[in-house]
Amino acid sequence: MKFIINRELILTPLQQIVSVIEKRQTMPILANVLFKLDNNLLTLTGTDLEVQIVVNIAFDNDEQGSITVPARKLLDICKSLPSAVDIKFELVKDKLKVQSGRSRFSLSTLEAHDYPDFEMTAMDCQFTIKTAQFKTALDKTAFCMANQDIRYYLNGIMLGIFNRQLKLVGSDGHRLSIYEGEIETETGIESRIIIPRKGVLELTRLLDNDPEQEIQVEFSKNNIRVVIENLTFSAKLVDSKYPDFSKVFEQSFNSPVHVQKQVLKDALTRVSILSNEKFRGVEFVIEGNSLQISTNNPEHEEADEEIAIEYQGEALSIAFNSQYILDAVSNLDSEMAVLTIAENLSSCFIEESSEQNYKFIVMPMRL
Amino acid sequence: MAIPLRKIIHIDMDAFFAAVEQRDNPSYQNKPIIVGGLPDSRGVVATCSYEARKYGIHSAMSSSRAFRLCPHAIFVKPRFTQYKEASQQIQGIFYQYTSQIEPQSLDEAYLDVTHSLLCQGSASRLAEKIRQQILDETGLVASAGISYNKFLAKLASGINKPNGQYLITPKQGIGFIAQLPIGRFHGVGKATEKKMHALGIAKGADLLRFSLPELKLHFGKSAIFFYQIAQGVDDRPVRARQESKSIGVEITYAHDLEERSEIYQQLMNLLDKALDKVFAKTLYAHTLTVKVKYHNFQQITRSLTFSGPIKKRMLMLPVFQQLLEGESVGQTKVRLLGVTLSSLEQQSLYYQQVDLFD
Repeated sequence: MKFIINRELILTPLQQIVSVIEKRQTMPILANVLFKLDNNLLTLTGTDLEVQIVVNIAFDNDEQGSITVPARKLLDICKSLPSAVDIKFELVKDKLKVQSGRSRFSLSTLEAHDYPDFEMTAMDCQFTIKTAQFKTALDKTAFCMANQDIRYYLNGIMLGIFNRQLKLVGSDGHRLSIYEGEIETETGIESRIIIPRKGVLELTRLLDNDPEQEIQVEFSKNNIRVVIENLTFSAKLVDSKYPDFSKVFEQSFNSPVHVQKQVLKDALTRVSILSNEKFRGVEFVIEGNSLQISTNNPEHEEADEEIAIEYQGEALSIAFNSQYILDAVSNLDSEMAVLTIAENLSSCFIEESSEQNYKFIVMPMRL
Repeated sequence: MAIPLRKIIHIDMDAFFAAVEQRDNPSYQNKPIIVGGLPDSRGVVATCSYEARKYGIHSAMSSSRAFRLCPHAIFVKPRFTQYKEASQQIQGIFYQYTSQIEPQSLDEAYLDVTHSLLCQGSASRLAEKIRQQILDETGLVASAGISYNKFLAKLASGINKPNGQYLITPKQGIGFIAQLPIGRFHGVGKATEKKMHALGIAKGADLLRFSLPELKLHFGKSAIFFYQIAQGVDDRPVRARQESKSIGVEITYAHDLEERSEIYQQLMNLLDKALDKVFAKTLYAHTLTVKVKYHNFQQITRSLTFSGPIKKRMLMLPVFQQLLEGESVGQTKVRLLGVTLSSLEQQSLYYQQVDLFD
């Protein structure tokens, strides 16, 4: 197997593939990238057995063959070569020779037929969506998903599709974000799946193509596959039902608090310096047109700050993990934030003042 | 400023469980007594009397083997309530001499007597007095080791066993360590011993040839201890009351387990017990460790740490399945299962955050 390819053609695919490869593998071959050469098509594959990325690169060539080489090392080599150079690859016995200009490298290889298959069931659902919409939906929900929670179904994003209605939900139990939008074409599907955390994080990174472009999303009970131009992303799904969160909407609410987003963020950042390092608790006292944020910590240090708000309701006080409020407010695109607190002080909705496709919910702390 | 040398006594009860049995049952005296599993069971020897040791019997040996070595030995099932009672009585004696006591187990403890003015400050005479008082009040025999750190004190208590004591002075310390086989060092098990031998470390003296970074390369976190102890330094304090770092439950089964579903069920039962213990101390755990010992005594442990506290039992079945995925549990018969909960924190730190799904 022998071919010459320009650095710029192979660099991005390698970067995308190395991103899914785990630093420590259960099988040595999983540290490698699979090269498959078939006439004018080079196919690169990387996986951790949970997520797989396959990239097709078209270029002039008439050879065939396949081999696997250490992915991270190959990426580092390609990265460090000057831009736009041609790189020559040649398989000599069990070594892959890489040459460009006066630089030569000889990489160890493992046989392609030992590379594990990524098991997939037949895809029975599919829809197309604009890159921009899918990226927004993921970005607005991913920050709320759990990480290493025992409730494994929370370590991911729930994606539901009901004909043209698209719904994404992320939650670690302490907060929840929900995206509800419409896609352009009818799908006739009614289905809910859970995309695992790692898959979600990889996917958001991959969605940096033309925002107006349509991408294809397919899924079955066990797998999801997203085709983005010449790249195919696949992941195993979390085999579980997503828990019911509808109760949080079924309650009465106080009148909303309108506040300048940046003012709230700055005040929270300052006050939380003296909160309990682990739990980051801050207390909100809302009265008339003022919001007082205060905190203290086990060392008996204290901080408080008062900011101007617009509020018509009764005086109330409630406490939160300041980080959760900061994360939610930072994910609003408008300059104003609207905080709506449930009458029984059991939750706080955070939204923009105009109707948007997403909203966030932060659960309080009891002090 | 030089830190004054410490005076540490390690008290080790001689054949403790067996001695309690011999004390409580005069017909057992001067006879080979084996406390532990019965010979026709799958149990092991917990302790045996000195009379039994003459036949080559030692603790952790399988009871059936012990029986073959000495068929006329008397096998006794352990009576932990009695042992605990005796142990508490002995601890009560320690408290008359110092408050800095670190019990290692029911039959072993470190005492820091650096600041004791009793016996004109002679730790050796103090140790003698303590041993005498233990014998007078409980009828049980103890040995003692006296030195300037825990490692050497423990080493010393083994030298004149039973019913004896030994002092390792600061001057003698390094010499003692130099000639000590590496397998007898604190924290050196079979695997580490092999590694040490491969590096040409057979005795304490050999450790001195290595720099700290070199040792770190091979032994990670334990390197500092090895490096310091080679020079006779062991700064580990005598900790009065140790907060437990983990809470665990394990069972050796009467019959080997072969069914995966039964193994998971057993693990869930063990988890229930471990969780009860954790909650009884108003703690929460974040790490779950599963231990499996196969019928051939090969052992594996697998663990997983979670962001939140382990509370709901129901959710743990998939966790066990995940932990043991790819292991030959069941296909290879299982003799023992254990569940340990660690990364413990006070529950009071947690009550505050409200959860959507609770």
